[in-house]
Amino acid sequence: MSSLLEVKDLSYCAKSRGTLFKREQSFKLEPINFELQSGETMAIIGDNGSGKSTVAKLLVGAAMPDSGSIILNGETMQPGNIKQRCLKIRMVFQHSQSSLNPGLTLGALLDEPLKLNTEYDGYERRRIIEETLVKVGLMAEHAHFYAHMLSEGQKQRVAVARALILNPEVIVADEPFAALDPSVRSQTVNLLVKLQQDLGVGFIFISHNLGIVRHISDRILVMRHGKVIEAGKTDVIFNWPKHDYTKKLIYAYQSLSKR
Amino acid sequence: MFLLDVKNLTLEIETTNGWVKALDKVNISLKRGEISALVGESGSGKSLIVRTIVGALPERWKITADRMTWKGQDLLSMSEKARRKLTRDEMSVFFQNAPDAFDPTATLGEQLRESVPDKMLDKGFFWQRKQQRDALIIKYLHKVGIKNHRQCMQAYPHQVADDVCQKVMLASALVSKPELLIADDPTMGMEITNKVQILRLLTRLNQTQNLSILFISHDLLAIGNMATDMTVLYCGQTVESGKMAQLRNKPLHPYTQALLNSAPSFRKDLPPKAPLSSLSGTIPTLQHLPIGCRLGPRCPRAQKECVKTPSPKKLQNRSYSCHFPLNRSIE
Repeated sequence: MSSLLEVKDLSYCAKSRGTLFKREQSFKLEPINFELQSGETMAIIGDNGSGKSTVAKLLVGAAMPDSGSIILNGETMQPGNIKQRCLKIRMVFQHSQSSLNPGLTLGALLDEPLKLNTEYDGYERRRIIEETLVKVGLMAEHAHFYAHMLSEGQKQRVAVARALILNPEVIVADEPFAALDPSVRSQTVNLLVKLQQDLGVGFIFISHNLGIVRHISDRILVMRHGKVIEAGKTDVIFNWPKHDYTKKLIYAYQSLSKR
Repeated sequence: MFLLDVKNLTLEIETTNGWVKALDKVNISLKRGEISALVGESGSGKSLIVRTIVGALPERWKITADRMTWKGQDLLSMSEKARRKLTRDEMSVFFQNAPDAFDPTATLGEQLRESVPDKMLDKGFFWQRKQQRDALIIKYLHKVGIKNHRQCMQAYPHQVADDVCQKVMLASALVSKPELLIADDPTMGMEITNKVQILRLLTRLNQTQNLSILFISHDLLAIGNMATDMTVLYCGQTVESGKMAQLRNKPLHPYTQALLNSAPSFRKDLPPKAPLSSLSGTIPTLQHLPIGCRLGPRCPRAQKECVKTPSPKKLQNRSYSCHFPLNRSIE
């Protein structure tokens, strides 16, 4: 079976900007390779500034790669062709608060990707929106709500709904759980796991929380300084880390969770 | 004797719907040299407690407490000047969300210099003071794990990464050698190796310098390792408090149980991708607080009696407020 998503030699070099700690060297992402099967979850872990978010941006097309290719279901994603890509690969942002337009109702918010990318008429679109809202555990009536009327967990659900509405094959999430409280976080984790089982989407997420990474991911990519230093099955990485940095991460995690 | 002893603290806030009890009969006590954890989700009033202790609340909010003492001195009846002096000399606060808590118009170095008290400098000539201050600051910056101190001190808060900001905040809290450090989510959003480093530093300071720490967070993974005592808050009510180990092994309150369950790291037997148990619903806002036990609408064990606020009950050396506690068999 061929894989759902295949990333070959993807590399990226940021234009040099005179920020404080990166004055002399600009950020460079070394060529990375990985594959994702459908229904599989991959986690990307690593330091701040290790290029995790850059990988996410490259995947969804928010940044242009210098070289390499992204192949989805045997179809190469053209770097500039946003229309082709946003039907297949969707993103969930870290702060749902700031990624939802406060001036639009949720219905209008979810309507936008449909309007721009599909041929459905208004009636059909409304039906899809209501279905998607129910799918993520909200009610159809929430389409008339504004973002500020919702709680943090509900907003995260809307963000997931927006990612799901075009029936994508891959969802990329940048720290989807970081801003959530523990009890709400479990709900979101459950929601994503359930949606994945039902719909069979591939899921790539970035997280600092190794507990959740261990719980929901099938495979892990460990990044440091723009390089992938280790990749493999979650089980293997957590039990037999090879690279020194991975060892440090895992031991730090274990020292906390023990006792 | 208790270093900090707060009994039945109630804080009322004026909203458009009248006065709301943002904190409802909260009890905290902290002995010298102890690390105590205050756990709760956002909106549970953790940060309000911090601000009440250091006296940084708007004057029109109503604070009532049976007892609120610092080393036996009553904090509430103290004159403002005396209280400020006491807070400055003996307590330090690590504010939540460090990058926002710093002054954006001054460099980190300037702000650190400000937090060094004069009495810590040797009596030298006045032109030597700045050097002494800087030496002290640099020592603490190294302690919290910032190697490149010069660059860091010259930077404005927005120019450095969030975790560097958090470390600088910690340095500025520790530099005045307080007796009590109130750390409001010091490891929020930190990467795990940095987190472990900060937690080790705090534990070491606790052991070597007898620093008492009130550690506030919702990250049970971080707290579980260092704190001896834990108080769990929900929506401004104390739901359970006691020794860390007891609470972790046999929680009595359903909310404590839910919090523990929400951290998959604590459960070795959990198969991958299994649904995590979680409470339904979300944390109510201050305007829509339920009556009685505030967990009521979300609690899996709630019954008719839960519309009455449960009074705290003692069991050995822990207390809980629930009509239908879990794990009762330990009695």
